Amino acid sequence: MSVFHRIVRWAQRKSPWILHFNTGACNACDIEIIAALTPRFDLERLGVQLKGTPRHCDIMACSGPVTKQVRDRLVRIYQQVPEPKIVVAVGTCATSGGVFTGLYNVMGGIDQAIKVDAYIPGCPASPQAIIDGFAKLIKSLETTGKPPAPETLAAEMPPGAAAEMPPGAAAAEEQK
Amino acid sequence: MPRLPPEPRVTAASLAADADRVVTVPIGPQHPALKEPESFMVDLRGEKIDAVRMRFGYNHRGIEKGCEQRSYTQDLYLVERVCGICSYSHSTAFVQAVEEIAGLELPPRARYIRTLIAELERIHSHLLWLGVAGHEIGFDTLLMYTWRDREQVMILLARLTGNRVNYGMNTLGGVRRDIAAEMMPLILKVVDSLEERTKTYIELALTEQTLIQRLSHVGKLSKEDALRLGTVGPTARASGVDRDARRDDPYAAYAELSFNVVIDDHCDVYGRTIVRLGELMETYSIIRQILKQMPDGPIATKAPRRIPEGEAVSRYEAPRGEDVHYVRGNGSEKPERVKVRAPTLANFSSVSKMLEDGYLADLPIVIAAIDPCFSCTDRMVSLRDGSSTRRTMTWDEVSRMGIQWHKERGLDLSTLRIPGSAGE
Amino acid sequence: MSDEVKAGSAEGIPAVAAGNAATEGGIRAAAEGPVRAVAAELQAKFSFPEGALKVQRATRLWVEVDRSSFGQVFDHLVKGMGFSILCTITGLDLGTDLGFIYHLARDGGIMANVKTRVPKGESIKSVTPYFPGADIYESELQDLLGARVEGKPVSPRYPLPEDWPQGDHPLLKDWKPKDAAAAAAPASAPAAAPAEKGAVPNA
Repeated sequence: MSVFHRIVRWAQRKSPWILHFNTGACNACDIEIIAALTPRFDLERLGVQLKGTPRHCDIMACSGPVTKQVRDRLVRIYQQVPEPKIVVAVGTCATSGGVFTGLYNVMGGIDQAIKVDAYIPGCPASPQAIIDGFAKLIKSLETTGKPPAPETLAAEMPPGAAAEMPPGAAAAEEQK
Repeated sequence: MPRLPPEPRVTAASLAADADRVVTVPIGPQHPALKEPESFMVDLRGEKIDAVRMRFGYNHRGIEKGCEQRSYTQDLYLVERVCGICSYSHSTAFVQAVEEIAGLELPPRARYIRTLIAELERIHSHLLWLGVAGHEIGFDTLLMYTWRDREQVMILLARLTGNRVNYGMNTLGGVRRDIAAEMMPLILKVVDSLEERTKTYIELALTEQTLIQRLSHVGKLSKEDALRLGTVGPTARASGVDRDARRDDPYAAYAELSFNVVIDDHCDVYGRTIVRLGELMETYSIIRQILKQMPDGPIATKAPRRIPEGEAVSRYEAPRGEDVHYVRGNGSEKPERVKVRAPTLANFSSVSKMLEDGYLADLPIVIAAIDPCFSCTDRMVSLRDGSSTRRTMTWDEVSRMGIQWHKERGLDLSTLRIPGSAGE
Repeated sequence: MSDEVKAGSAEGIPAVAAGNAATEGGIRAAAEGPVRAVAAELQAKFSFPEGALKVQRATRLWVEVDRSSFGQVFDHLVKGMGFSILCTITGLDLGTDLGFIYHLARDGGIMANVKTRVPKGESIKSVTPYFPGADIYESELQDLLGARVEGKPVSPRYPLPEDWPQGDHPLLKDWKPKDAAAAAAPASAPAAAPAEKGAVPNA
């Protein structure tokens, strides 16, 4: 059975529910997340649904660089999400602060406040990147029960891509 | 994984009934030591809103200070990201002010390309708004259709500029990328296609009684109040205010183009819908003129790295309304001061006015109708009726409650169809 | 909900023709007619010193006013010359003083940017009696520059967070971020929040 069909079957069984939380982003990533759910991209094929309440979600998709105003609420929402919970940082700001790094009211990324399990970069992260990120995440959850490690992502890359990987990942790949 | 029992349904009626009792708020664990940051503090009188106080700043990142610490070129990228929907508006408003201080005269082709991108942004923004408004009133079909249509513009913008959002198109003195001749027919094709789609939405807005009823007499803002409170954009124009920076204070290539400013006198959410639909039609016409008239020539003029001492104010008609940027140069590579007044801030005080004496069930659509430049999805709404106890709901809960409230009164938009979509 | 509703006209969306005219270089002088008339009227009424009043272009006028005459100039522009739009108020750190620019505009497109300054610590008068919407702009001045605005309505602070320390104004030129970050961390932060790289905020 192809990878895609295994993911779809898993998703239909598990149907991961996503809580989308904006930590002070410019809204571009938030719109691309919603766009990923509209007909052209149709993230719902993977069984992914946006749900409003933390207590009913499996995955937190967070955008934004975490403004100081919003930090407490982010942490509080995180605590309300039941275990096992997965946090995905969507967009470059959520990953590292992006273009807002160093500004006085910005903490510099989701992982400055809570533990992050996966990062989807992009400014904004395109719907394709979001779907790709969620597909990899869901596949990894199905096979290992955990989010993917960087080394396993390297295994899926085409030859020659190793030159562009972050340091450490290529070495880990060599040791296999 | 375990699912918790379903949430008890909170309705406006149940809130009104609970007013005199101490209520355990059925939303999330309470941490008395940690205050909920409420965005909207609503005083209720039964099902109606007495007054609303709003508190914002979630999006405050410190961009103006950041601009002083970065070069003008770096600031182009920072300012572009003030808002991810009208990113080109901010980028252009900023760069225009800088160009004025530096005394730069842009080549005509650059001005036309800026206008083209600006109007393409208006299309994506207004279609986005239609979808969001649809979602807030339980008309998700509209969200799916308009955002599918919107994809045509997003793809086109990505082809023209390299990105769906944050185009990186401006440079000091012009634009960074030319529009190739072979792109012109593609742009025209998108415009033709979206014009047909927009006519469908206009037909819907003019003939579908459920929709008209749902949106009419909601979020009322008289012309006097709109003027008094400094309202801008489609929100103001729907209250009969005849202002549009493209006509009143032309920039880019607008002085050379012919278009109508769309005014309406409904003074409500329905009017704001009509104005945006009308603006879409005007935009298609503007883009066709641009494609016909765009002069040849260079796309940028040489700009200095150090911008002289001086100051300028730039006014730009973003999809949401007038965007104002003030820049002061001090002779160095970094600005002395950058001040951004986004359109949503200008409409801040009119929102409370629109909500007063309206139904709580209409709060989400009224706020959505000013097309706010902040993410509503996670804002908390706190409610107080009579007693001094405040109860808190998430935006999502208020939204769903509002949709349910109207359903109970015979306005169910979930089954509405888009005209002419039967064969799809 | 049973009120009669009025749909758009059958012909489509009502619109007002803009009457745009293509401008050419030679028309620039004529285009500046109105703004020069505004400048002339202001000069005649207030006798500004040389250099205080500038026409930058057809839709941009700048006037620098000392604080004692600011009230009268502002009042005349708004009440007497039709400048019924306040776009925003820009605050500036000018060293010993705070500078304020009131970006006024009127229908037809002309902006009159009125500049004034007061020593830090001294107050300016709220313009909310003229422009109720100015409340949020004045909140920004208070929060970010420490301006004192007399007669301003009480409202939640904007745009800084609730727990941002009082007296800490980030837009001032000599502002340093370090202490603000530590002071802004809430005292009752939940211990159970696991942060991968630590919860210490970046500057």
